[in-house]
Amino acid sequence: MIRLFGVNLGSPGGAALALLPEILVIATALVSMLVAAWRHADERAQRTVGGLSLVGLVAALVVVIWFWVAGLSAAVGIPQMVTLDPFRYALDVVFLLGAIGTVLLSLGYLGRERILIPEYYVLLLFATVGMMLMGGASDLLVLFLGLEVMSVSVYVLAGIQRRSAVSAEAALKYFLLGAFASGFLLYGIALLYGATGTTNLYLINLQLRGGAGDHGLMLVFGVALLLVGLGFKVSAAPFHMWAPDVYDGSPTPVTGYMATAVKAAGFAALVRVLVTGFGDAPGIWQHLVFWLAILTMLTGNLVALAQRNVKRMLAYSSIAHAGYLLVAVACGTALGGSALVFYVFAYTLMTLGAFGVLGVAGRGGEREVRIDDLSGLAKRRPWVALAMAIFMLSLLGFPGTAGFIGKWFILTAALGAGQQALAIVLVLTSVVSAGYYLPVVMAMYMKDEAEPGTIEQAGYRLGAGARAVVFAAALLIVAFGVWPSQALSLANQGGKALRPAPPPVIVLPKD
Amino acid sequence: MTAFLNAIGYGHWVLDALLVLPLLAALLVMVTPERHAKHVAFWATVVEFVVSIGLWWAFDPHMSGMQFEVIRPWIAAYGISYHVGVDGISLFMVLLSTLTMPLAVLGSWKYITSKERAYYALMLVLTTGMLGVFMALDLFLFYVFWELMLIPMYFIIGVWGGSRRLYAAIKFFIYTFVGSLLMLVAILFVYMTVGAHTGVYSFAYGHLLANAGLVRQWTFWLFGAFALAFAIKVPMFPFHTWLPDAHVEAPTAGSVILAGILLKMGTYGFLRFAIPLFPHAAFDPTVSAVVVTLAVVGIIYGALVAMVQPDFKKLIAYSSVSHLGFVMLGIWAVTVQSVSGAIIIMINHGISTGALFLLVGMIYERRHSREIAVYGGIARAMPMFAAILTLVSLSSIGLPGTNGFVGEFLVLLGAFQTHPWAAGIATSGVIFAAAYLLWAIQRVLFNREPDAENAKLPELSKRELVVLAPLVACILWIGLYPQPILHRIEATTSGWVAQMQRASHERGSTEGLVVRDDR
Amino acid sequence: MPPSVGWIWLVVLLPFAGFVANGLLSFLKPSAKRAVSTIGVGVLVAAFGLAVAVVLGVARDPNDAPYLIHLWNWLPVGDLNIGVTFQVDQLSSVMLMVITGVGTLIHIFSIGYMREDDGYARYFAYLNLFIFFMLILVLGASFPLLFVGWEGVGLCSYLLIGFWYTEKANADAGKKAFIMNRIGDFGFLIAMFMIYRATGTLNFTEVFATAPQVFQVAGPAITAITLFLFLGCTGKSAQIPLYTWLPDAMAGPTPVSALIHAATMVTAGVYLVARTNMLFAMAPVSSAVVATVGAVTALWAASIALKQWDIKKVLAYSTVSQLGYMFLGVGVGAYASGVFHLVTHAFFKALLFLGSGSVIHAMHKAYHHTHRHDDAQDMRNMGGLRHWMPWTTGVMWVATLAIAGVPGFSGFFSKDEILAAAFARGQEHWLFYLLWVLGTVAAFLTAFYMARLMLYTFHGPNRTGEAEREHLHEAPWVMTGPLLVLAAGSAIGGLLNLPEVLPGAGWLEHWLAPVTSGSGLYLPEAALAHGTEWTLLLVATLLALGGLYAAWHFLKPEALTTAAEAPAETGFGLVLNRKYYIDEIYQGVIVRPLVWLSDRLLWRTVDKGVIDGAAVNGSAWALRGLGWVGSLLESGAVGWYVVVFVTGVLGLLYFVAR
Repeated sequence: MIRLFGVNLGSPGGAALALLPEILVIATALVSMLVAAWRHADERAQRTVGGLSLVGLVAALVVVIWFWVAGLSAAVGIPQMVTLDPFRYALDVVFLLGAIGTVLLSLGYLGRERILIPEYYVLLLFATVGMMLMGGASDLLVLFLGLEVMSVSVYVLAGIQRRSAVSAEAALKYFLLGAFASGFLLYGIALLYGATGTTNLYLINLQLRGGAGDHGLMLVFGVALLLVGLGFKVSAAPFHMWAPDVYDGSPTPVTGYMATAVKAAGFAALVRVLVTGFGDAPGIWQHLVFWLAILTMLTGNLVALAQRNVKRMLAYSSIAHAGYLLVAVACGTALGGSALVFYVFAYTLMTLGAFGVLGVAGRGGEREVRIDDLSGLAKRRPWVALAMAIFMLSLLGFPGTAGFIGKWFILTAALGAGQQALAIVLVLTSVVSAGYYLPVVMAMYMKDEAEPGTIEQAGYRLGAGARAVVFAAALLIVAFGVWPSQALSLANQGGKALRPAPPPVIVLPKD
Repeated sequence: MTAFLNAIGYGHWVLDALLVLPLLAALLVMVTPERHAKHVAFWATVVEFVVSIGLWWAFDPHMSGMQFEVIRPWIAAYGISYHVGVDGISLFMVLLSTLTMPLAVLGSWKYITSKERAYYALMLVLTTGMLGVFMALDLFLFYVFWELMLIPMYFIIGVWGGSRRLYAAIKFFIYTFVGSLLMLVAILFVYMTVGAHTGVYSFAYGHLLANAGLVRQWTFWLFGAFALAFAIKVPMFPFHTWLPDAHVEAPTAGSVILAGILLKMGTYGFLRFAIPLFPHAAFDPTVSAVVVTLAVVGIIYGALVAMVQPDFKKLIAYSSVSHLGFVMLGIWAVTVQSVSGAIIIMINHGISTGALFLLVGMIYERRHSREIAVYGGIARAMPMFAAILTLVSLSSIGLPGTNGFVGEFLVLLGAFQTHPWAAGIATSGVIFAAAYLLWAIQRVLFNREPDAENAKLPELSKRELVVLAPLVACILWIGLYPQPILHRIEATTSGWVAQMQRASHERGSTEGLVVRDDR
Repeated sequence: MPPSVGWIWLVVLLPFAGFVANGLLSFLKPSAKRAVSTIGVGVLVAAFGLAVAVVLGVARDPNDAPYLIHLWNWLPVGDLNIGVTFQVDQLSSVMLMVITGVGTLIHIFSIGYMREDDGYARYFAYLNLFIFFMLILVLGASFPLLFVGWEGVGLCSYLLIGFWYTEKANADAGKKAFIMNRIGDFGFLIAMFMIYRATGTLNFTEVFATAPQVFQVAGPAITAITLFLFLGCTGKSAQIPLYTWLPDAMAGPTPVSALIHAATMVTAGVYLVARTNMLFAMAPVSSAVVATVGAVTALWAASIALKQWDIKKVLAYSTVSQLGYMFLGVGVGAYASGVFHLVTHAFFKALLFLGSGSVIHAMHKAYHHTHRHDDAQDMRNMGGLRHWMPWTTGVMWVATLAIAGVPGFSGFFSKDEILAAAFARGQEHWLFYLLWVLGTVAAFLTAFYMARLMLYTFHGPNRTGEAEREHLHEAPWVMTGPLLVLAAGSAIGGLLNLPEVLPGAGWLEHWLAPVTSGSGLYLPEAALAHGTEWTLLLVATLLALGGLYAAWHFLKPEALTTAAEAPAETGFGLVLNRKYYIDEIYQGVIVRPLVWLSDRLLWRTVDKGVIDGAAVNGSAWALRGLGWVGSLLESGAVGWYVVVFVTGVLGLLYFVAR
């Protein structure tokens, strides 16, 4: 009989407690859907819904943090469906922050772009719930559930700008390929069930450790297909082809959201499955991830070099970063997990910030933003330029920024896991990345405004929300770049949770 | 003096102060009105220099170890700490930097006309970065500083530079970045391996140095990674091509700092990290043969290419390649003379080349051209300028009685004991040095004026004389009475040399130890 | 140590103080010529006075060991300890006398010669600085300190040759001098390194003390060292192959030519060999090389002098030739004789240059009055000057007779001793007989070209031009005064070291004995029978007179036309007139190829093309190219994406399956 805060975890109430954050977000989503249905689709309605969803997200965030601080953790040995461990909390924080940031960015953007669809926020909330499930899932089915909830909402978000053909195209592409990928994922899960007779990661892990559950074709194919499905979500080469088009087509805040939170969720699931589930049989998957990582880093960085359009460039850069994160995954160690957690966090901050600036950079927010359009930004908007510069340097992994600490952490993990080759490829490709991050800085600081007035419509007037996001992100990046100790130790908690010790003893819950 | 310094606990706070002062000053500059920015920056750098000068007396010449050490935990969980200190090698690099900065600021006085605030703030940040590199005793910290000073320089070149500044800036950045990132991997690898074996995960220089033996089997790869980073910075032939572009495009002060201090980071890196951590790789017969060859090639090649440069700044840039070649030769010769000489050259090059760039900047401000062909006969209009340029060039040529000779003589004398052939060939560099510099100053100062404008160039102003005076003084002082400096570096260098010779003994090669066969 | 010797530092310091003072004046108040000359000459006179005191001190003191006056530690690193230490001994005393003595005279002469020049202060500053460095050179107690002076005088020579720097030719000449000297210095440096490697020290006394232990006589080490040292000498003392800078150096003011390029600096090489006589004595091969180069140079330069028209060029080549004699002397082991010739040569060659200076001075004034722009140094524009400049003519004749080696005059004795010494060594090897022959022939040529110079300049009809003629005047006393003193020296200087056959012989030789004693062990005892010596004296006399007579008899000043309408040289005359085209050859074989190599090959091809172009930017472009190709794959067609996707899947499955 496992009791927690006087509640029997087995009982519905206990489950409710364990899922409190998700429940909060869902509740908000439902309420705001009602509100949206009630009111007409106008700006004010939009704002109210936005505000509402903010409240919900913040509330959820608070709860998550409370869980973490309270050290709320699952009873040893109970094979839960949803874990209660720092890893989940850490990732939840990332998702919620990402969502909050996106909402804040959207507040101004949607109005300016005349996207008067209050459901926008609802979808955002649902997507967030999906992610939180993915982050917390210790069972492949929950994982799939979360994944689908997230994906479907994001498909719609991608195409939310009905008037724009590009947006529609993006949505369609994303949907088609996404469905395709989900198929593989599902099939992978099926195979694993066939091979191990369970979908619970702990139990799978137990079997592998026990030597039972042969490494037969079924198992390995299952893992491989799982990898395909999640690799698609994190846009790992060669399953990345959708990303540039979709990122390019979707409304900028959505792109930011996809590039950060969605990717984070994908990685959360990936690392959870591989390290927790198959951590003791790295032979099955490590070399796969190894090659995926190398391929992804190369593709992302090289192709990004050739881009003139900032949004597209960032799309490829996000692929490159997926590559770096895959390096962390490939370690297959707790340290690798910690590195991943930290990097995901840092990466979310810088990418969200970058897209935030970008959201107001376009000519009237239109999608084509060439690097030269940023020329002379430093003169007109010194602070915005400074923030953007910080984001770029952080993406480049320059000392003094969270991006550097993240890269350093991943490198340490990789070397600790004997992945010298990955480490070297990582740094070399990072050098390449200087070839497309620096031009942005150059344009802003070292070039004079190209044709004056082109960018004036947008004029880089950040709305209050956007301003908050951008500058908060910039500050955090520097802060964590200079004093990373706290963040690192938190990330470590998260990482350690991936390899639970002592091995869970199975006690089937009875009422 | 020493007593006074002790009384104020100088040794305990000086290094912190040196690192923090510029940053505070930078903030101050950012909030002062545009037209006062340079004054603030100037006085800040002067104060910085005054603070640093105490090191001269406070430093104990008889200690070969680190002095004024400060250790504070930074990222304790990973054994990263803020750990700084100074020994005979870094002492003069620090002093050189603090001496150069005020002059660099004065050198930018008229040159920089736009975004002054940002410019001077960056200069001050740069100061911290450079000093940090020379003081850091924690490899993580070292790496952070090493990269940090990249950004200010990148902006200084890219924003206030010449016509091709963008190209030069990004080239400078990426070139350096390649090397340093590989070095980062190497650092982490040593950190992890040593940690795994000793159970102590720490980036502390002393710790890693003590256990460097644990990475013996990878020593070549690790040395390679470090060496690449430093060789690019030095720059050693053939990694030098970023230098001419950077120098030509950078504003005067940029070039001064670039040549005067940044290049030294490369040689300093070799002295402090690459060689002591991996002596068996460094003094492996093949490796040292390669390095020595590249050094000699650099000496000759740099001089010859400098000879035919139409652009005065490019000429000086290539001459730097030549001079730094002497330093590398001196280091790899591992004799007390050659290493001390190498350090002296590091100082000299900062002074002489810095002065040369300042001088070029001064005529550039008058005539707005770096083309040597544009000038000629200006000695008549600017005798003072002519005198100083001649003196500085002579010091760069290595005329006895100037600082240049002391360094080159010691390096060659020492190097000849262990690498007679290399030293012999390198010695011919003195001929080419005379060739390119005398030819250059003849075409600038002497001959008939090609056009009337040269005839009425204004003579050096008071400010410009103030900028040059200290450098000229140093040129003569180090040339005539280098003993105080040699005295302060000797303990460190002889300790260094002894260690390295022991290391090269172990590996059974006679490379790098003194043999007097005729004795 | 006699007290006066302790004041040696002041002797050195005074000229330096003069340099500083005049240097400042040249910036602050160039017009204050009186002050400048007072300072400039004053310090020299004072230095000379002190020097005399010092030398007397040395002379009076019975002990022969050199005095070392240590001022401060200069380069103390490890076991290397080089101090700023002066070594006062018999050899440096001799040089001290020559430098300060002749130096003073030339300073005085300059007051008149440079009076109208704008760079008056700068000129005296340089001149003082030169004296300072020259003193360092001869007083330095270690190779490096000597090297300081060695390069320092080179610097002053560079500055003074290019004194009138607005003429490209002058600036070029200065640069040429410096760089050619640098080639020599390269040898000097290598020699120092080898010495240090072998003996572990660079202080003269210690080196000479340890030399016998560490070197075996005629061994490779010592031979290499001495040869490298001699390479340095060929640069500084304008010997084959590095002599071509000296004639060009005549671009400087004439007093400079007298002081630096005749009397003092160019003899530094001889001084160096004499100073290190011990090392050279241990390396017979090197000594032979020195002697041979000297003899050949003597003849070579003399032959060129035959066909020069520029009065200073003649003297320049004559200097090269005379330096050749000195090296012949020190080469054959007659160190004292070499130094002896150095001293006498300082007298008569300085005199010749100053004389030619006053001639040029007069010619300039003459042309200046009528604003004519002919060459004031070309002998074809002179002639018959004795009518206008009797004093100059007189002293010039004294010098001529001295250099030609007419009995009784200084040159006769010094030159004869060298030739005699060479002849004496003939017993051990025929080479020395050959050298003696070369030297003797050169002596004949010397007499000839000097007579030619006198003849064309001072005798025969005047070719200066009608209008100019009446503006020709004798130089002022401030200029002719020094000439007279030098004339006296040239005449009786021989008394310093009379040949053995005469009473009171070999004073200088005995004086220098302590310095050269070390080498005595390694030199064969080569004495001449008195009979032979008389014969040699006779031969020398005949040759000198013969040369003079031949010139007098064959050359026809009346037939000479002015430089303007002079007929082109032909045949061998042209070759001599063009100095065997050596300059052109050096230019074509060394300078141009080197510049071409540096410019086209190293810079444009290797640096710009290969390293920067191909390697650096090339890699950047390659990466961009790859990226571009990659972005082509992003066709935007979903079908294609699926294809890629599936390929990826299959790939993965294949990987895990195997």
